[in-house]
Amino acid sequence: MTAAEPDSPLALEAIATAAKPTGPRRVGRGLRLFARRSPMSAFWGCIAALIIIVTVAAPELVPYDPLKSDFRAMTKPPTERHVFGTDQIGRDVLSRVIYGGRASLTVAIGAVAFGTTLGALWGLASGFLGGRFDLISQRIIEFLQSFPDLILAMAIAMALGAGFGTVIVAIAITRIPFGGRVIRAVVLSLKEMSYVEAARGVGASRLRVMLRHILPQCVAPYLILATTHLGVAIVIEAALGFLGVGIPPPTPTWGNMLADSLNAGLVPPWWLVLFPGAAITLTVLAFNLLGDGIRDILDPRLRSAV
Amino acid sequence: MYSYIVRRLAFGLVTIFAVSVLVFAILRILPGDPLVAIFGMEGFTKLSAADRASYMAQLGLSDPLWLQYLHWMRDIAGGNLGHSFFRSESVGEMIARRGPLTAEIALFSVALSWIVGVPVAIVSALKPNSIADNVSRFFSIFFLAVPGFWLGMLIVLFLLFVFGYKAPLAGASLFTDPVANLQIIVGPAIVLGLGQAAYIARMARSSLLEVIREDYVRTARAKGLSRRPVISRHALPNALLPVITLSGILLGFVLAGSIPVERAFGTPGLGYSMFTAVYERDVFVMQNLVFLYSIIFVLLNILVDLTIAWLDPRIRYR
Repeated sequence: MTAAEPDSPLALEAIATAAKPTGPRRVGRGLRLFARRSPMSAFWGCIAALIIIVTVAAPELVPYDPLKSDFRAMTKPPTERHVFGTDQIGRDVLSRVIYGGRASLTVAIGAVAFGTTLGALWGLASGFLGGRFDLISQRIIEFLQSFPDLILAMAIAMALGAGFGTVIVAIAITRIPFGGRVIRAVVLSLKEMSYVEAARGVGASRLRVMLRHILPQCVAPYLILATTHLGVAIVIEAALGFLGVGIPPPTPTWGNMLADSLNAGLVPPWWLVLFPGAAITLTVLAFNLLGDGIRDILDPRLRSAV
Repeated sequence: MYSYIVRRLAFGLVTIFAVSVLVFAILRILPGDPLVAIFGMEGFTKLSAADRASYMAQLGLSDPLWLQYLHWMRDIAGGNLGHSFFRSESVGEMIARRGPLTAEIALFSVALSWIVGVPVAIVSALKPNSIADNVSRFFSIFFLAVPGFWLGMLIVLFLLFVFGYKAPLAGASLFTDPVANLQIIVGPAIVLGLGQAAYIARMARSSLLEVIREDYVRTARAKGLSRRPVISRHALPNALLPVITLSGILLGFVLAGSIPVERAFGTPGLGYSMFTAVYERDVFVMQNLVFLYSIIFVLLNILVDLTIAWLDPRIRYR
């Protein structure tokens, strides 16, 4: 599957009910609780952290320059010198996979920081304000959702031309409706709570209620959403790169490395296919399981169901 | 029920109109010159201003945008979906020739996802947290993370290395040459089907777990029915309602997912032409294909809603 991410009613509900107060002082205790409650998720969280650290420290870690070709070692299977082998113009695959992660994660994090956040804020406003604004927002979101997200991203990326920024924008736009719908659902249920009524009763303005009383409660569901969206964004980015509308070569990304492997002769060498794809799978798996774990901790009632 | 159908269809029409405007806006108004796509950046800079203007006029791109939009709609209404910049075949012919293959892949994959997903979910839900449950949950989480096109590439490589087998490259119709046709679609259908099966299994499991706790299921057990008929006749039909909705949505995503997957397998379907159109920056082909895919997506959603309304009286009588 590519970017399929249907928001099941159950997942929506899980996120919607996952609002609990959190404070910076409780972070440490929270992490320990997290590790004890769901060791699996904590383990995958560590993997996710490790992947981020490796990609950030890529320039220090890679054995070779990812762009430098070595014409004495072209299309060589994995050896001791090149652990993941080399591609058709002699570039080290391990270095390229690590640098590819840098590009993929930058795009994914950028797309989520921009798209999911914008969608969430929009959902907050439209859920809280209600009325005509909400009605119109809902229609716009439905129209955005009448495209499968990969196709929408492809069309936008193609129209804007290939590049880092455009890929981020293209993926971010596909994330907006999902963020909007989920956070709106959260806000709608929060609005009915008695503490919100109490705040209104003592005379807090609408803006104050929205920002001081509702917004903080949306942080937890937003975090859950953002973690799962990271995985989706990575897959979309890989698909875009694979289809030739992602970040253009020579910058390595996991997607364009896979596309490149198809140009390496009639039969793509297995090491050019295996490693970038395995990197995508591992990364997405790590973020998905971390997201599941966060949801389970924030809403233990659903642990047996999801 | 009829008023529900009418309302749903009317909203569908509005959505399709909005989608057409959106597709048009994305592919025509956004920056990026179609002439750059046709001639390449270098060729484009060599063109004189007059050449550029005449090419744009030829392509109908120098009219005002609203007129271009109307022309596009007129062409579609007349069944003329335009030509590729680079190929002689018209878009309509291309869809007629390649569309069935992609449709077959999509339908086979949906069937496969139910055949795999639902039994797995039942086994899982009957004994939550058992070994079978954990194994199937691990696999569904795993298949949610594996990109289908990568799995496809691995399968192609594996078959080639181990059996020296390669699926036929030329398109073949199910009716004239069923063997070749099945060989082409089976790979993409399995990859896309497993991806969906992961979602189906997850959804069906949680939905079944919820339904099993309902009073009417306990009543059925209490009056002495054994476990098996209670699950299959009382619990399952209700538990599968959300799964049907999900499956419809997934079918739409499969159409999109088939683009990279068909590229990985080299399948001569519509997804592959979508890839070619994107790769060659063929704006008109892309515009019509994106619109076609979105219409299918919207219609599928309507179909799913109507099916659910038909199956679930609570929605019908609202």
